[in-house]
Amino acid sequence: MPYLLQVLQTLLVLAISPLYVGVIARGTAILQSKHGPSVLQPYRDLRKWLHKGVVRSEHAGPVFVAAPYVAMACYLTVSTIVPIITDEPLPLAFMGDLLGGALVLALAGFAMSLGAMDSASPLGALGASRTAWLGSLAEPALILVFFTVGVLSASDNPYLMNHAIAGSPAALILPTHLLGAVAFLLLILAENGHIPVDNPAGTTEIAMIEESRVLEYSGRDYALVKWGSWMKFTLLSCVFMNVFVLPWGLGSATSLAQGLLGSAAVAGKLALSAALVMTIDSSFAKLRFFRIAEYLGGAFLLALIGIITSYVVGR
Amino acid sequence: MQELTLASPGGAVLSLDAVLILLSALACLGSKLFDRYLTYYALQSVLLAVAAATAAYLEGDPALWVLAGLTLVLKGWAIPAAARHWLVQRLDLKRDSGITTGLSLTLVLGTALCAFAYLAVSPERLAHGLLAASVVPISTAVVLLGALAMVVRRHMVAQLIGWLIMENGVFLGAITLTASFPLIVEVGIFFDLLAGFLIMLAMTTGLAERISPLPIGRSGRDS
Repeated sequence: MPYLLQVLQTLLVLAISPLYVGVIARGTAILQSKHGPSVLQPYRDLRKWLHKGVVRSEHAGPVFVAAPYVAMACYLTVSTIVPIITDEPLPLAFMGDLLGGALVLALAGFAMSLGAMDSASPLGALGASRTAWLGSLAEPALILVFFTVGVLSASDNPYLMNHAIAGSPAALILPTHLLGAVAFLLLILAENGHIPVDNPAGTTEIAMIEESRVLEYSGRDYALVKWGSWMKFTLLSCVFMNVFVLPWGLGSATSLAQGLLGSAAVAGKLALSAALVMTIDSSFAKLRFFRIAEYLGGAFLLALIGIITSYVVGR
Repeated sequence: MQELTLASPGGAVLSLDAVLILLSALACLGSKLFDRYLTYYALQSVLLAVAAATAAYLEGDPALWVLAGLTLVLKGWAIPAAARHWLVQRLDLKRDSGITTGLSLTLVLGTALCAFAYLAVSPERLAHGLLAASVVPISTAVVLLGALAMVVRRHMVAQLIGWLIMENGVFLGAITLTASFPLIVEVGIFFDLLAGFLIMLAMTTGLAERISPLPIGRSGRDS
């Protein structure tokens, strides 16, 4: 049974991530008094890309070809590690804790950056350099955020963190936890190219950050790249909701019905986080590129203050 | 008040409030616009009023309620509104160009000061779980952050706001620690009067200088 749930969890992430992105795009458009594309548009895009032929530059190397597959494999791996539909570790969850998950996500980003540099296009290398700069600032903050929840649960295993907070709801309003949660939200927005770091609907090459890495991909490769980035956003949002904000409603790993209940709960939680992202997307302006350092510095600072207060205020 | 523990609901609210006050001080330190300085100062004062009201509720002391109301009206509304009207708008202050260190470096210094406040107060020597053990390091950190704002900023109005933040830090510590409340009321009103006085001072200086406000710390070099 746990193996079935394991497969269900990964399939759920695969299936729901285009919908999540579609809902955010549509909701943001509505908030800005536009009509916007249908929430199913990402699925249609995926079908279109999967049916198109692949065009690659003749100067592009093998790394460029392999990168989307490596990245997709990484995202699929992370989808087996983190708590999404059950609050008990599934058979493959032994592979990593939150730091391990972050490592695998970083590996995916690394592969995409290498692929971009191998794409024989100057924009690819430019995008890779920008993303690497962003990542070098975001990564330390991310590790500190894991420490803030680690302080509360005395562990860096997301399942134990989930139990620690679900078991004592008062922990939700502890300063350490609140600061960590806000810092994590800032990092999710930065890592997935949302306002105020990047505009997900932006089409100007000069302002793109993550998108400029993947300009050279087409057809099937592009479908994998986009699907992978949507999965990353969904996975991080799931961790945000299940570990930081609402650690309840996860099923136990005993029966399929529990897994389905957990899936429904996760869909509801993702709707909440989508509403949050939409609000932020439509109420802030995109930052100037070099002010992003201050933004990420702010996330780092919040997490650091969170850890200091954990010593001062206690847990 | 002295024996209030963290585990009680009142203690939890007070400690959360104290951390938010600390954060608003850091936010003020990390911004560059005069208007933001005042917004964050007003926010911090409102949070301070909440802390005073929580203490008043826990103690059932009418003097503290008066103090909370005074903090809310004077510091949360009157001082920021007056400074906005008389200083920021009249002198057309927008971006603070008199900052000596970069914002990121200032924030790093601020965080270091927070850690230093914790080490200096060393609350682990107090009984475990006591509220004072958590709020005193935070209020010390707020005082140090206000001092940092006064050190790294050259503009007189920015220094005034740093001073007001320091005062908020002292006040936060006083609410949590002192048992004799009428004294706090006196001290609070005294500080408010002093703050009003300083604002008047800044105002008159600003009116005299009109276009170019007095850049403190440079006057010696320029003359």
